[in-house]
Amino acid sequence: MENKPTKKSLGGVSRRDFIKGLGTGALGTAVLPPLLGQTIVTKKGRVPVYDQKTITLTVNGKKASLVVEANETLLDVLRDKLDLTGAKKVCDRGECGGCTVLLDGAPVYACMYLAIRADGKAVKTVEGLAEGEKLHPVQEAFIEKDGYQCGFCTPGFLMTTSAFLDKNPAPSLDEIKQALSGNLCRCGNYAKIYDAVDAAAKKMKGA
Amino acid sequence: MRGKEYMSVARGEATGAAGQAKAAAAKPAAKPAEPQPEPKAPEYKHIGKPTRRVDGREVVTGRAKFTQDVKLQGMLIGKILRSPHAAAEVVSIDLAPALALPGVMAALKLAEGKVRYAGQQVAAVAAVDERTAEKALALVKVDYRTLPYVVDWERARDAAAPQVRDDKPNVEKLNEYSRGDVEKGFAEADVVVEATYRTGVEIHHPTETHGSVAAWEGDHLVVYDSTQNIHGVRDGLARALKVPAPSVTVIKDYMGGGFGSKLSLGDYSVVAADLARQAGRPVKVLLSRRDNAVCVGYRPSSHQTYKVGAKKDGTLVAFSLLNYASGGTAPGDDVAEPVVDVYKCPNCKVEEHTVFTNVGAQRAMRAPGNTQGAFGLEGVMDELAAALDMDPLELRRKNYSTKNQGDTGLPYSTKGLDKCYEQGAKAIGWERRNRRPGERSGTGTVRRGLGVATSIWWGAGVPGTLADVVLYPDMSVEVVCGTQDIGCGTRTHMAVVAAETLGLEPKEITIKLGNTEFPWAPLSGGSLTTPSVAPAVRDAALKAAERLKAVAAARLKVESGDVVMGGRKFSSKTDPAKSASFAEVYRDLRRETSFHGERGGMPGDRYAFNTFGAHFAEVEVDVETGRVRVLKYVAAQDSGQIVNKLTAESQVVGGVTQGLSAGLFEERVLDDATGNVVNPNLRDYKIATSLDIPEIKPIFVDVFDPRINNLGTKGLGEPARVPSSAAIANAVFNAIGVHVREIPMTPPRVLAALKRKESAS
Amino acid sequence: MREFRIAEPRTADELAALLNETREPVALMAGGTDLIDELKSGVEKAGLVVDLRKVEGLAGIAREKDGLRIGAMTRVAELAEDAAVARDFPSLRQAALSLATPQLRNVGTVGGNLCQRPRCWYYRDPQVVCRKKGGFNCFAYQGRNKYHAIFGGDSCFIVYPSDLAPALISLGAKAAIGTAKGDQAMPLEQFYILPEVDVTRENTLAKGQFLKSVWVPAPKAGQRSAYVKLKERGTWDFALVSAAVSGVVKDGLIAEIAIVMGGVAPIPWRLKKAEDVLLGKPPSEAAVRQAADEALKDASPLRENGYKADLVFAALKEAVLAIAP
Repeated sequence: MENKPTKKSLGGVSRRDFIKGLGTGALGTAVLPPLLGQTIVTKKGRVPVYDQKTITLTVNGKKASLVVEANETLLDVLRDKLDLTGAKKVCDRGECGGCTVLLDGAPVYACMYLAIRADGKAVKTVEGLAEGEKLHPVQEAFIEKDGYQCGFCTPGFLMTTSAFLDKNPAPSLDEIKQALSGNLCRCGNYAKIYDAVDAAAKKMKGA
Repeated sequence: MRGKEYMSVARGEATGAAGQAKAAAAKPAAKPAEPQPEPKAPEYKHIGKPTRRVDGREVVTGRAKFTQDVKLQGMLIGKILRSPHAAAEVVSIDLAPALALPGVMAALKLAEGKVRYAGQQVAAVAAVDERTAEKALALVKVDYRTLPYVVDWERARDAAAPQVRDDKPNVEKLNEYSRGDVEKGFAEADVVVEATYRTGVEIHHPTETHGSVAAWEGDHLVVYDSTQNIHGVRDGLARALKVPAPSVTVIKDYMGGGFGSKLSLGDYSVVAADLARQAGRPVKVLLSRRDNAVCVGYRPSSHQTYKVGAKKDGTLVAFSLLNYASGGTAPGDDVAEPVVDVYKCPNCKVEEHTVFTNVGAQRAMRAPGNTQGAFGLEGVMDELAAALDMDPLELRRKNYSTKNQGDTGLPYSTKGLDKCYEQGAKAIGWERRNRRPGERSGTGTVRRGLGVATSIWWGAGVPGTLADVVLYPDMSVEVVCGTQDIGCGTRTHMAVVAAETLGLEPKEITIKLGNTEFPWAPLSGGSLTTPSVAPAVRDAALKAAERLKAVAAARLKVESGDVVMGGRKFSSKTDPAKSASFAEVYRDLRRETSFHGERGGMPGDRYAFNTFGAHFAEVEVDVETGRVRVLKYVAAQDSGQIVNKLTAESQVVGGVTQGLSAGLFEERVLDDATGNVVNPNLRDYKIATSLDIPEIKPIFVDVFDPRINNLGTKGLGEPARVPSSAAIANAVFNAIGVHVREIPMTPPRVLAALKRKESAS
Repeated sequence: MREFRIAEPRTADELAALLNETREPVALMAGGTDLIDELKSGVEKAGLVVDLRKVEGLAGIAREKDGLRIGAMTRVAELAEDAAVARDFPSLRQAALSLATPQLRNVGTVGGNLCQRPRCWYYRDPQVVCRKKGGFNCFAYQGRNKYHAIFGGDSCFIVYPSDLAPALISLGAKAAIGTAKGDQAMPLEQFYILPEVDVTRENTLAKGQFLKSVWVPAPKAGQRSAYVKLKERGTWDFALVSAAVSGVVKDGLIAEIAIVMGGVAPIPWRLKKAEDVLLGKPPSEAAVRQAADEALKDASPLRENGYKADLVFAALKEAVLAIAP
């Protein structure tokens, strides 16, 4: 379930910060630069080609248009251009899950996804999980069961878990382990994370 | 204690912490104390109970700012160029092409003369953004003259091998220890077992890579650092930059793991500060995942040959250990503590050597030395038990000691290891083990087994640790300490202790830490944070409570000795009708009031202070695929008074999981042909995943130690890591009847061990 | 990450024309989960990345009367969740679920999995110029090679890392190759080439060509299949050794069988000799032992990968026994 756009915030970041955070390479929704593409002419027609492109994303329920480089990952755009630093850069190679975000509801590694391909898609990050000050049941459960230690991998685990429980509201322990199998916790707190996911499932059912 | 450095986290760095810890813990014996009746812990409302983390909301909302997330106005991105060669002479470095690139604001030459390992820093640049910095780095021109090198420690022992260090040969004595007469002991033994155990190189790989953000404000330097030791980084930076210590502030708010690899100043922090000074703008330097595998340490390898002699009834008579450790350009770990100290044995001889190689220097990793030593010692104990046809647990109990077996001979202040054995064995169902290793024939290809291993560690804490409690007239309470929360829940521990002492709830306490402007606390390593910080907070909070009682006494017009605290009010013992609410009494303070607390000393001349544990694992092994799966795990710990049961359980679960991961999967692989690490990533360097984790049951045996500090609390992080690979290895032995003797126990090694068994029978 | 431009063709014709006509080095991006790693490290040097995502007709699973057509851009997660795949080709589903992680399966594609580059740690190291990258040495040959090939290595000892390829080949799949001159079909088995043919690539795709889809023939009566993957950790691991087996067991005897192994050779490795041994025998441990021994006569292990011979037997045994009714 995606959050509706609210005027209040983009996750934990205020709208003002958000606009500012877009920086020089990007613009708010008010002024759109032209498409930055060129074309390669072939015998079968013109193929669009980009070294930069203006893309439009829905981030945590809020629309954002910005210019991205062809070789820029979604993770770098979120962290550097949108100031959403919840998703972490841990391995930068799709080998750990620390940068997991939801793309149209499905967990993906933002470090291995080119931003240009996210054009038109909805992105949800950990900053968009709570509704205002009200924590998502998954967030509550991770605190209650101490489902982390250093907390650096936690945003990734939270995103994976929330998407998983939306699909499977009453999972078995084995299903939980399978669902989390793309997120590494170096502090080694998996056993507590299972408890947290289980508790979150029960909370969501009760809610 | 054996009169050696208290823990290797302090190696090469004379920190106040280690110095004080050593002084406190390792004083020579005066006269041992008489045994005393066992005192009991007080009844607490919060201490020892599960308390949710006070900073949980910050973490789960993604608001917690890690060093990686720090972004300052005008901040540049710094990048470091590293040597691809394991040994080379740096002939020249040309920064000009990099500096000519638009957007590049600073550049540094970092290497002069020789580089001694692939990954050593050579040059650095700072630019307006990451992509510009990357481009600039590629433009730095370095002329190397390559030199012979050796990265394989076994080859490095050859006389013909290239010499790694200019100042010494490749093999150097690391440690020597002797008591009694081992030759005589072995001659008296009924059974002698000898075997060699090897541990591979385990890399810390904290999720947050090492990094710093440095900003000069005039002559004052502020550094945000992903560190386990803010004060140590401050002092190190002051030395490196030749500025007074008060001119440097180091801040660490949240950190994504360290496990020992972030215990001292990193060269990248100095680079960040130098680039920032040159550019006149803040600079962020973050290391890459690859860097984490080549230049910020690892647990050194070991190659431990044990010989143990025992009487028929299991009484140990002699131990000898010969170890070769390799820590790259730095000495490896001394692994002897377990063999010297865990079991009662009159004769013991240790000889350890380190072998230098052209590989980045090791750094302390969670329970350095003891983890490797426990794997070897506990392995040979189980092989001895098999030779004696004895229950491995019985063999351990038979040789139980109540005093230090090393240099001091002091009695342990408390030792709950017997309780750990008893409660752990019960919880795992020890009677289900194979009575003889590998004896249960089983059907199919899967064999099951159970194993036990013992933990010994220090973790007494550091006298002199400071903390302040500040009371405000609006009833706010602040606890301030220059410690750092590295993920163990230190903020919450501080809040729990203050709340307990002041009759409040933990969530009402404001915690300030992670800043060198705050009162001194030691590094967060060596399992000393809680036993250092919690007693200091307790001390300050007790003083605060006394003041509040005095203020209440004035309001109630009674003697302050007559005032008791409870139910969020102060009242008169003699006249319970006289009472004042907390709000009233705090208001009477009229201004904020600080109370300074200190972690006091302990009678190190009369007692040995140690932590203990016993781990039990149940595994299954597929004898055709060589795959080991851990099915169930019980970890019983004696770490004195637990401060927060919830986070303590996490510590134990983490220690077990890391030991499982190191025991089965993790191994840095070096190539002697290229001089490089071939798996500097998280794909080929394999860390346990969610599908590798069994049910883990932590047990705290609740032994109260009134002598160690005002709370009776001891460290836990490392004690929970020491025996975990060993317990799993012993369970594998029990399952298949042959000890794999090398970690990680990968399929090839398990299959090779099975073949060894086959050819022996 | 390296700098590159991204082309977004919208039809297969445009794509074929672009690939055929362009003069600069091109990399095809399906899911990108492998390619981005190589673009970040610099091992892939192409200046033009052709994104297949918008090309019409490349995604999805379609029932055809004599089989199932799986578009190259079908995400692995879709393959794993497809009901027809689960019913007719259990080995393919098992292979899909065994690979990578949920997050990677949500992005990674069937075509990308079939065309991924090897994971050899020397090949992936941008500092190392090995034979596959135009150098003179295979560093694995005398270097660190516990994950390398025991079959079919020659000038290069990579193992082909795909899990889907062994399963698909054992099921008799055909590859549809798009070219500027129209589509070509070939058995997927022939799509992969050994280093002795061309050490710089792993498949037959020439300039101007791309993998469009794979077609899997409808199962024969009594056909059963299994995929067994042996790895070090519980998940998120490439196969040390994997075995894909498809066959028919009639009256207790193996009437038809195809065996393809992963993790043992530079291409998905067909075990013809083992198949011949097993035909006409009951699926038993003894028969598998004999078959494995026969197949292993072709093995030439390196210093650190001899254990793979044991795993060949273990994987084969589990997979063959799994197809017995």
